Order: sequence, then C-alpha cells, then structure tokens
Amino acid sequence: METSFAITGKGYVLVASDTTAARSIVKMKTDEDKIKVISPHLLMAYSGEPGDTIQFAEYVERNLRLFHIRNNYALRPSAAASWIRRSLAQSLRSRKPYSVNLMLGGFDVTTDTPHLYWVDYLGTMTEVPFGAHGYGAYFGLSLLDRYHNPEATLEEGIETLKRCINEVSKRLVVSPEKYKVKVVDKDGTREIEL
Amino acid sequence: MPDMVALSRQQPQERQFNPYSENGGTILAISGADFSVIAGDTRQSEGYSIQTRYAPKVFRLTDKAVLAVNGFAADGNMFVKQVRQRLEWYRHAHAKDMPLRAIARLIQTMLYARRFFPYYVYNILGGIEDDGSGAVYSFDPVGSYERESCRAAGAAQSLVQPFLDNQIYFKNQVPQPGMTHPKHLPLGTVGDGLEMFVVLAKGSPLYGLENFDGVQEMTSTHEGERIFVVRRNLKRD
Amino acid sequence: MNSLTNRFSTTGPLSELKRAQALVENEEFSDSAWGSEAGFGSLAKGVPNFTVPSVPDPSAFLRLHTDDHADPNCRIKIQHGTTTLAFRFQGGVIVAVDSRATAGSYVASGTVKKVIEINPYLLGTMAGGAADCQYWETYLGIHCRLHELRNHERISVSAASKYLSNLVYSYKGMGLSMGTMICGWDKTGPAVFYVDSDGTRLKGDLFSVGSGSTFAYGVLDQGYRWDLTDEEAQELGRRSIYCCRTPRCLLWLTLEDGWKFIGNYDISKLHYDGPGETPGAGYGYDVRIERSTAAPVAVQA
Repeated sequence: METSFAITGKGYVLVASDTTAARSIVKMKTDEDKIKVISPHLLMAYSGEPGDTIQFAEYVERNLRLFHIRNNYALRPSAAASWIRRSLAQSLRSRKPYSVNLMLGGFDVTTDTPHLYWVDYLGTMTEVPFGAHGYGAYFGLSLLDRYHNPEATLEEGIETLKRCINEVSKRLVVSPEKYKVKVVDKDGTREIEL
Repeated sequence: MPDMVALSRQQPQERQFNPYSENGGTILAISGADFSVIAGDTRQSEGYSIQTRYAPKVFRLTDKAVLAVNGFAADGNMFVKQVRQRLEWYRHAHAKDMPLRAIARLIQTMLYARRFFPYYVYNILGGIEDDGSGAVYSFDPVGSYERESCRAAGAAQSLVQPFLDNQIYFKNQVPQPGMTHPKHLPLGTVGDGLEMFVVLAKGSPLYGLENFDGVQEMTSTHEGERIFVVRRNLKRD
Repeated sequence: MNSLTNRFSTTGPLSELKRAQALVENEEFSDSAWGSEAGFGSLAKGVPNFTVPSVPDPSAFLRLHTDDHADPNCRIKIQHGTTTLAFRFQGGVIVAVDSRATAGSYVASGTVKKVIEINPYLLGTMAGGAADCQYWETYLGIHCRLHELRNHERISVSAASKYLSNLVYSYKGMGLSMGTMICGWDKTGPAVFYVDSDGTRLKGDLFSVGSGSTFAYGVLDQGYRWDLTDEEAQELGRRSIYCCRTPRCLLWLTLEDGWKFIGNYDISKLHYDGPGETPGAGYGYDVRIERSTAAPVAVQA
C-alpha cells in the first residue's frame, strides 16, 4: 500500500516515498518515482487516486515553473504550499475533485529554514516537523513522535527515516519493498540511496 | 384526503429511466469466397406477446452491403435510418457507394458516438469487399467490430453460433485421412431463414440460386454485384 | 401564471433560449459532414462528440444498463478482453495476446484480434472494453499521423501514450474501461508504456494486463532477461499466454523499422507439441513430466 514519510532536521527536509504502482492485487511497477522536484528548493511526494496524482502533480509543477519564468524567482515554500493547498481546495468544490495527498518539503533560502507541509485531498494543510501518509502513518507517526529530533544532522535524520521504513516492513501486511528518498537543503534537492 | 397525499409524499420514490426493451429474434451472416448471405427472422416480440410477424431486421444498404440489426427494434430502426442517411450523403459527395470496410468503420464510430447512452443493438454487416471477396463484420452495442466468416446474434445466438462454428469453421471436426477441410463453403450448402439476403460478387455464378423457392432478385442492373432475397414462412406458432 | 405564459409564449428570453438549445442539440453535424466528411461517423466535427442521456447522473445510467459485474441480467453486454502482455528486450518488443472475448458469461468470440495496429510502428493491446480500446487507439492513430505531417518526424512512444492517457483521463468517471500497452520503437529504442482508463501511465520493461495477467506474470517474471535472444523472447511470450488457458495465442514483434506479425498459435497444439513440429515437445505439465521421466537427459528449458 502507498506510503510516504517526511521529516525535518537541521537545515534540511527528508522526503521518502514507496516506489510501487499497483492495480488491484498486482504490482505493475516497482521503481516509480512519486516525488517530484517542483522548484529548486521544493519537493513534493504525492499519493492517492491513480491518474489524479500524476495529473495534479504535473499541473503544480508547470504552474510553479511558469511563475519562476515570469518573475525570475521561485515561490518560497510557504507561498507554494498555500497555492497548492488552494488549488486542491478549489478542486474539492468542483465536479471532479483531485483525490491527492501530498507531503511538501522545502527549504526557504531567504530565512535559511526547512519547512514541511502535510496536505490531504480535502485541502487540509498543516506545517509539521514530521509527517506521513498512507498505512505507514499508523506505524511511523508514533515512532517519529518518540525519536524525531528537529536538530538532527542529515546522517541522524536518515537513521530515523530508516527506523520508520524498517518498522513498516516489520509490521505492515502489504508493505512496500523499496523507497525513494530525496532531500532538500540550502544546496537544492538531491536523491539519497538508503 | 389532502393528508393522505402528504403522507404518501413522505415515502421515498424510486424513479428509473429505462429506455430499453428486447424484441427477440435472431440474425446471422455467412460469407464465402465470392458471396455473402445475411438472414434474419421477421418476428417482433416483447415478452410473451408477438407485436408483428413481419418486421424485417435485415436491410439492404447499398448494392453490395446488407445490415442485420437485432436487439431493441426502435433503436435498431433508428440506427439503420441514420446509417442510410450517412451513406446517401456519401453518395452525393463522392458519386459512388461507400466501400464495405468503410461502412464497417462508419458503423463503429456511429455506435461509439453513443458510448454513454448506447443503442441496444447487435449489428452484423454482410456484403462484398472492393476486392470481390465476401465479408461479414460483427459489432457489439458500442462499436467494437471484427471481420469474420460467420456470425449469429440475438435470442438464438448460443444455439446457432456453435452450429456455425462446427459447419463453417469445422470446429471439433477431423478431416478424413489425406483430406483437408475446404477453405470456403460453396453457396449451395448454406441454410435458410425467414428473410435471407444473398449478395453475389461481380461475375460470380448463380450457384443454382435461380431455382430456389421464393427467391427474388433485388438488383436493377447486371453489371455489378447482384442481390437476391429469399422469403420463407417458418412455423407460425 | 407567469410560468404558464413563459412556457407557451413564442417570444421572450426563455423561448429564445429554448430555441437556441434546440438548435445546438440538432447541430450534430456540420455542413461539411454532408459532403466529403460524411464517412467520419462521430468524428465529423474533427473532435469526437458523444450523446449523453439527460438524466441527473449519466454514468449511473450507463452502469445500470451495461455493467455486467454489478448485474449479470443487465441488457447491454459489452465485450471484455482477457490476457495481454508485452515486454521490452534487446531485440525489440514482444507483444503476445490471447484471442477470446466474453460478453457476460458467454464466449462472444474466439477470434478477436486484441492487438490494434495504431500505425506501422506502433502497437496497442486491448483489455477491458473492446470498443473503448478499438475506438481510442484508432483515434490515437489519426493524431499520430497528424503529428508526423506537422513535425516531419514520427511521434515518440512516450508522446503517443501520453496523448492517449490524457484523452481517457478527460473521460474519467464516465465509465470507460481500458487497460492497454502502447508498444513501439523510437529514438530511445524499444519502449513499452502501460496506459489505463484511470489515467495511469507507466513506463516499464514488462507489463501484463487482464484477468489472466497474474498467471502470465508468473511465467514472464521468471523467464525475463534483457539479453534474451529473439527466439527465446518469442518462446517466453508464447509460454506466458499458454498458461492463461486460452484457445489461441497471437504474437507480434516490434523492430526498429516497424512491427511484424510472428504467428497465430493453437494452444492445444502448443500443449502437446510446442511451436515446432516435434510431437511430445509441448508446454503441458503432464507432457513435460512424461518427457522428463522417459528421458531424464532431455529436459527442456
């Protein structure tokens, strides 16, 4: 089942998402990237209704890119998150709403602070030190409540993330096997091999 | 009394929009090397009542295309009317009849245009292709189609199709040692129906069709394809 | 009183609006459809246009009358597909499909062609609603050709599949049902994309779609390697379809200069004799066991 985690640390946000694309009981693909780099310092992990996810993610990606081209600067994470949340909220009141859940991890280069936003398909948004979506949230949130440290170095953050992933593998019946992990910090975004 | 009306209003009422009915009947078509036979019964019924004993389900579209329509008669008649209109427009624009394979594609797109409000009709199109070969195209209600050698549709599909599979495709038959099954059946061995159209390719022999009981030729010229219709009475029960 | 006059008056904004609506509804065909475009069916206007019943929930109406999973007694039975598979390997793309179509519980046809030749170098497979796949993949073919005419180069498999996925996504929730693999060869080499009516589009090496896909995956995943030879790849395709208990198996190979049809195999022959002419070299379990007990040396792959 789809699972995504994200945690903040000292000067960075780690975003992890499983890599399976399933249809009924069959895994159609096990190396699908479900984390989009939507601007130089912003990552978005998406999950939810097949079809809606990719369409919404590309819609967001292109609009933020358009903003960047028009204004020569990218939106700050808080502004981007607000815009994305509003898009989802407006879609919710439309005839065919997007059913997409998001984790937005960004690094605000003007204040040198990492930000993490948890957004669901209803347009609920909250800034959190750590967050999760999917069945993994049932195991990961309590674990992060116990072990998360907002002042952790990247190495320590990765260790905490591994704890989450291992816990889900240990206890969840239909646990994903592989995760893709990306980090955003003052240098931009990059992928991390666990 | 006004109270009772008000009371009955409080009950939930279920409304359903059901614009479909099933009018029975069976159609079938068989094609050979240079001919095509399209047949259908002419009874139209709803439930246990017979609405009429003569309502044709097989329609001549052009000199070399015949369409059989089964399912919901009102939808079927409407559909045939629309197909004929489009074929007439085509004739006016191009000064020729539409080729059979193009009619088949036209029927697909016309059926698919009603994908979200389907015509409840099963179509079988029979006729002669441009290369002179006999052809049968069968359709599902929303336009998926395929060229075949024979096809039955309608109430008796599940009885007729296995018979055709056995007699035309030689399913479950083993040829005699040293022999093979013929590639195409000659016309003489094909069965009869209540109303049956036979389309012969240009210049093909009559296969003894002229001696058939109740046969009538529908073609005006002897230049191109020839269409014959055979009308028979079956049991009137 | 006011509403009464409104209903029966022939002047005034309401009747004006009604007349305008009637005009729009009757405007099913453009003038050009009368002439040279008469043969284009629902495409006479250039874009497909569909009749939708005037009920509050059109998709519920469609489901009520056509969905045979929900109600086996419903009247309109739409043909459904069964097993299709495609995989990418060093020599191109193998596409293998079975040939049975069911409508309800009745086997409607044993000869369906579940591969749609979009154009000479693109193949699409058919699972789900037969008409949905046939119609939209043909429509995709039109647009691939237009792309060629406009850009003087062939459309990439990626772009073609995205075109299809965006198309069906725009009808999401209306009741379309299709699961297809778009296969071809472009500048990037052999490519396979999975596209379905949810709007999912996935790039991958190997996919199987349909109710028999789990059985096909069982054989396919175990035998799959990138560096399969052409002969090995064809054999893998045949064996994967064989295990889905279908009457026939159709096989295609996509190469750099377009696809080619490999063959139409009778499954009962594959069961006993395999694809070749050697009796007893079949895929069947009992045939294989008999072979290995009779001559333990001659165990085949």
